[in-house]
Amino acid sequence: MSSGTIKGGLFKGKPTYIVTVFGLLIALPLSLMAAVTFGTMDLPIGDVYQVIKYELTHIFMGQPFPEMWAPGTAIHDVVWLIRFPRLVLAGAVGTGLSISGVIMQAIVKNPLADPYILGVSSGASLGATLAVLLGVGISFGSNYVGMMAFLGAFLVSMGVIALANIGGRANSVKLLLAGSALSAICGAFSNFVVYIADADHATTQVVRWTMGSLASANWSNNLTIMAVVIVGTLFFMTQHRTLNLMLLGDESAITLGTDLHCWRILYLVVSSLMVGFAVYNAGVIGFVGLVIPHGVRLLFGTDHKKMLPISALAGAIFLIWADVLCRTILPGNEMPIGILTSMLGAPVFIYLMARKRYGFGGGD
Amino acid sequence: MVIESKAVEATLGGNHILKGIDLKVNDRELLGIIGPNGSGKSTFLKCIYRVLEPSGGAVYLDGKNLKEYTYKESAKSLAVVAQHNYYNFDFSVKDVVLMGRAPHKRALDRDNAEDFRIVDDALKTVGMYDFAERSFSTLSGGEQQRVILARALAQQTPCLCLDEPTNHLDIKYQLQLMDLVSGLDRTVISVIHDLNIAAMYCHRLYALKDGKIVGEGTPRELLTPEFIREVYEVDSEVVTDGNGILHILFHPAQKKEEVCV
Repeated sequence: MSSGTIKGGLFKGKPTYIVTVFGLLIALPLSLMAAVTFGTMDLPIGDVYQVIKYELTHIFMGQPFPEMWAPGTAIHDVVWLIRFPRLVLAGAVGTGLSISGVIMQAIVKNPLADPYILGVSSGASLGATLAVLLGVGISFGSNYVGMMAFLGAFLVSMGVIALANIGGRANSVKLLLAGSALSAICGAFSNFVVYIADADHATTQVVRWTMGSLASANWSNNLTIMAVVIVGTLFFMTQHRTLNLMLLGDESAITLGTDLHCWRILYLVVSSLMVGFAVYNAGVIGFVGLVIPHGVRLLFGTDHKKMLPISALAGAIFLIWADVLCRTILPGNEMPIGILTSMLGAPVFIYLMARKRYGFGGGD
Repeated sequence: MVIESKAVEATLGGNHILKGIDLKVNDRELLGIIGPNGSGKSTFLKCIYRVLEPSGGAVYLDGKNLKEYTYKESAKSLAVVAQHNYYNFDFSVKDVVLMGRAPHKRALDRDNAEDFRIVDDALKTVGMYDFAERSFSTLSGGEQQRVILARALAQQTPCLCLDEPTNHLDIKYQLQLMDLVSGLDRTVISVIHDLNIAAMYCHRLYALKDGKIVGEGTPRELLTPEFIREVYEVDSEVVTDGNGILHILFHPAQKKEEVCV
């Protein structure tokens, strides 16, 4: 095969991996700072940084704002209450989605898995829709919409795996069929609820979910999703050996000292939490969990010790810039980010599917 | 380390595959299990390496019931080279062998210099050191088999469990692998298809047929033309060559007499 040279990663050495992680760690805040200067409103770059500087000194050192940059002024609110939270949300969602992509691919042992393709995002979306329109799950407290989104994501994850394992072991075809079937069911029920609820304001919110948008970002929700995503990512980084063993399958894993069964459930819970909160805050953004891990695997190999940190950072940076593109590509208007990621990601998915070795082929 | 199986039974999909297997592998012994297809050899081995739980009886490692071991503990005692190692993802050869260190690690432990040294040594032992950075899936079946053996060696266990280890290998590597295994000075239990390989390397053999043990002994004691006829339903001749090595020569299958009714 002509791709023989890139198998197992283009950059295998340890130094390249460490340099890459450091490079991405620097690139992430730089991307945030650069991306914040783009937008539909034309603001001088120096002013944008002034706002951020005064906000940060206010938060961390308790210094008062100069009047010109104080909260309530147009420039302050655009930068600190609209642009910046939106980019932070993009980063958190990007990390969450690409890490849950990595995890789902390990759980189902198939590189075609992604929260969107397996219908997990639709499940989260249905959960959130039920919560917003019908008030289901209100007893979960102030974050009940996020919790319902998590529940939806988790139930669909379990459902897809159970459905794909009916009548013999799961394979790619059965997983994809189970995913699209459950996705269709969740979509239909979401639409049904939207149709009968007939509440205008809520319907726009639901439409935003189905298309994916970062526009409703705010700081208080950001803190929750950042906590979920960071804790989840750090947790999975401690699990790199078990994740590697997952790719070998249950039998090999047992002979190497790990019974995968309970781990699989725990990983599904944590990754569903990340998907649930990502969907609750930003709607259904497809293919991030497919494209990012695939690219990282191509360059650095399959070892999860490297996959996880690089995918986490690359996912965040990717979605930050995807959001910039969404805000600038249509003059005077912005494009829902889910549309963009699907336009970019779906061809990658088709390419992966067409390559026989990667999924449909082989004996598994 | 001593492996012992007492009255092990196994049922798979309603079929009674193993009907009470009593067997003992002595310390540092190379024990072979032979038998025709479908006799339950691999199923029995799976009971020993815990992928299958016996429906009756139990397996003991050094006198302690295998069930009382955690998976981590048993993976530190017994390493496995099974058949069919097909992976949907590409790992480098080194990554695959490094997984042999997994049972010795806790979640937050780092892979240290010692682990990498063990991995390098294991790869050198099986003659795959030059392939360390290659992708596992680009290797031939025989090369993959040797990498999996290296992974088992990296586990540094007192026992090895091999399921037809010489499958897919051409004769040079069959002999090389068995030479290597018999030189390891560990307790080894292996399912072996090829009676000549079994005769050449094993200290003792157990013969399985229809889920029962039908014979036990040194290759010279066990492998007689009568016994081979009884177990495999073929005619053969057993000769000893100038080096004192046992050889089994098979005769072509005879045409069955046609019975007219």
